[in-house]
Amino acid sequence: MNLSLSPLVELLFFPGGLVLLASGLVYEFVDRKLVARFQNRIGPRWFQPLADVIKLLAKEEVIPAGVVKGLFIFLPIVALTSILTAALYVPMFGLKPAFSFPGDLVVTVYLLSLMTLCIGLAGANTEDRFSLVGATRALTQMFSYEAPFLLALLGPAIALGTWNIGQINSAAGNNLWFIIAQPFGFIAAVIGLMGKLELPPFDAPEAETEIVAGALTEYSGRGLALFRIGRDVELVIGLTLIASFYLGGLANPLDFLWKTLILLLVTAALQSLFARLRIDQTVGLWWRIGSIMVLLQLLAVVVGRLIAPLIPFLSSGG
Amino acid sequence: MTIGSMLGDIVNSFFKRPATGRYPFVRTEAPEDLRGKVVWNPETCTGCGLCVKDCPSQALELFTLDKAAKRYVMLYHMDCCTYCAQCEVSCRSKSIYLTNDEWELASTSRTPFEVYYGREEDVQKVLEPEPQGEPDLSPESKTE
Amino acid sequence: MGAEKKPEKFVVSIGPQHPALKEPGHFEFAVEGEIVTSATARLGFVHRGMEKGTESRTWVQNLYLMERVCGICSAVHAMAYAQGVEKLAKVEVPPRARAIRQLIAELERIHSHLLWLGVAAHEGGFDTLFMLSWRDRETVMDLLEAITGNRVNYSANVLGGVKIDIDEVKSAAILKGMDFLEERTRHYMKVVTEDETFLGRTRKIGTMTLEQALRLGSVGPTGRASGVPYDVRVDAPYAAYQDFPVNIVTDTAGDLEARFVVRIKELYESYRVIRELVDHMPAGELTTRIPRRIQEGEVVSRVEAPRGELFYFLKSNGTDMPERIKVRTPSLCNWGSILATAVGHRLADMPMILAGIDPCFSCNDRMILVKRGNDQTVWTWEDLRRYGIEYYK
Repeated sequence: MNLSLSPLVELLFFPGGLVLLASGLVYEFVDRKLVARFQNRIGPRWFQPLADVIKLLAKEEVIPAGVVKGLFIFLPIVALTSILTAALYVPMFGLKPAFSFPGDLVVTVYLLSLMTLCIGLAGANTEDRFSLVGATRALTQMFSYEAPFLLALLGPAIALGTWNIGQINSAAGNNLWFIIAQPFGFIAAVIGLMGKLELPPFDAPEAETEIVAGALTEYSGRGLALFRIGRDVELVIGLTLIASFYLGGLANPLDFLWKTLILLLVTAALQSLFARLRIDQTVGLWWRIGSIMVLLQLLAVVVGRLIAPLIPFLSSGG
Repeated sequence: MTIGSMLGDIVNSFFKRPATGRYPFVRTEAPEDLRGKVVWNPETCTGCGLCVKDCPSQALELFTLDKAAKRYVMLYHMDCCTYCAQCEVSCRSKSIYLTNDEWELASTSRTPFEVYYGREEDVQKVLEPEPQGEPDLSPESKTE
Repeated sequence: MGAEKKPEKFVVSIGPQHPALKEPGHFEFAVEGEIVTSATARLGFVHRGMEKGTESRTWVQNLYLMERVCGICSAVHAMAYAQGVEKLAKVEVPPRARAIRQLIAELERIHSHLLWLGVAAHEGGFDTLFMLSWRDRETVMDLLEAITGNRVNYSANVLGGVKIDIDEVKSAAILKGMDFLEERTRHYMKVVTEDETFLGRTRKIGTMTLEQALRLGSVGPTGRASGVPYDVRVDAPYAAYQDFPVNIVTDTAGDLEARFVVRIKELYESYRVIRELVDHMPAGELTTRIPRRIQEGEVVSRVEAPRGELFYFLKSNGTDMPERIKVRTPSLCNWGSILATAVGHRLADMPMILAGIDPCFSCNDRMILVKRGNDQTVWTWEDLRRYGIEYYK
């Protein structure tokens, strides 16, 4: 587990860089395939996400009139970079995080939401109506799910008394699984991740039947490819985070594989089970139910920690 | 009032064989009464031209080489055909009918869709009219 | 963008390539935030000159041209046309042919309503319902293919009867298919009336009152969902509807959910009447002779298409070609209801409201030239072509 790789190799190939991109594409494929099977379809073949990306990279990038050119080109790069940076603090593939410092949880969550911020900016940058509506919706949705998602991740962090992802990961394995100790937090985390990734039924910001492709309508070619890879990698990171926090930590690659795939199965089932929520319904659901649920959970955790020394049973779970 | 009322469906679907197929690699059987390529029989045709007259998409052309000897040639534009079977209904001598075997009609050029029916020497005559005399090659669109 | 005209409003213009319906139509929604404050539609992108085209084709050829007015409800167009021509020629169609016509029409209604169910679910972002309802729709598509030989434009009708017959094997296949579909449809009824997330997108959305429906002239399931008790199959039976009647299905709510309920209940009716037709198919001839030259006269022919009342006006001048054919499709009657109900809803509801009437864009696109004064011009093909080029410039 504690392989000694040179930092450059770590950054460029494994676990960062190329392997991370590849894993993003693989998880996108698995996700699409699962949704297809839930809908009784065959689904794409294994190379489809890769083929899509190669096609997009090979295409001309059309820069529409009326955009700030620099912003238009740099936003996808910033988005992908922030996601790849976030991966360094997360126990990808069940290995130890490449970098780690106390409180890196907050930085990681911040880097993950940078993606949505970039998409929102990218939409607001163009003059296209679909993009503008999509950008508004994307940012609205970000404000509604960001807090519950962070709170959901804070639950185990507070319970274990550390905000370091690596430490939480290893400590989670030694404790009762947090999915049992904090079920509401787990639900909020999974739904929050789906909201972050704009997966159905939370895909109002890119509802294809209403606003074409939402904020990314004007993107083609390289920019779109980067955004797509970024979102795929974000999916892997998000699944890794939830698995390491709530499913008893990721001790080795095998652990990583089956836990994230189970999570992916659950999210794919949720994706195919519901009709798309309107943006007002999404926001309402989050603030009325999601955040209150997580807050109560958090309150229970804090109270639990305060009285834990008094009752020996609680100290194991939080 | 339920949430996720299609849960049973998606679990079922997950364990069932997909309903969609990998078409060009896996083919399905066509039904018995499928309307496919039109076939014309020169032996029984009376040359009345009703099929040509009734065809809604002008997919049929009838060349009369020798009316007395009943020598006709049919040019069938498969790419124009809408497979409505009106020619089959209109034909009094049952010389033209639809078959059910040929239905995968895709090609990068139009030539495979120009099908000539008739006796071999007649078709040759229609295709190369120069060396022979001058048979009437105007498409027989008017009834006699 | 439309914003240039009215700078104070944020106008979302959708189309001509509509993202949701894959059909050409142009809409402009003025929005405040997400709320739509006004809606306009512009149609006519798939005008094909069909009515003019009929004037240079024979009565027989026109049967197949009219069948192609709509891709989804093709058989009812052919049926309306054929019934009109038969009425003009004063020809009586044998009862077996009439029963088979009704059978094909009802099978087509099943395929059309299931198609709509899937499309409407897709508009609401419920792709699982979309995929599964279309999977089940394959059953009826395969039946139609097995019976008529074609999957889409069945061409089952000829002037004076039908081309195809129903034998034992086909009857058994139809009955089996109906049993399967009925079971599935009852399940979908449960999904669309009980699933919380889906109801959030359909209940109290796009509500049209009975008064509005009558004023806007809504027809078909759209009107019936608002309580308009009008169905050509019941009010003016054609084909074999006299002997194999259907019950009219209405609802009072008038919202999108009611339109789902009405269409699904109509599916139940179709299953029932198809079983009756198959069990009690009258024996006899399939066709009757019809002259090539239709005697002079005018006639109106109406049928109930899956989307509502389909209206044909035929005028003959005694030759083998019609003098004038006028088609009024049900989608055209229902457009007003969209624009009337859209205001006040959210932008996200627009695709659902639009899909709620089951619109068929190419059905609509007919040209009307309003005559001013004593203008006696008759447009030629060339005039029409030039007008079309100018229109789309």
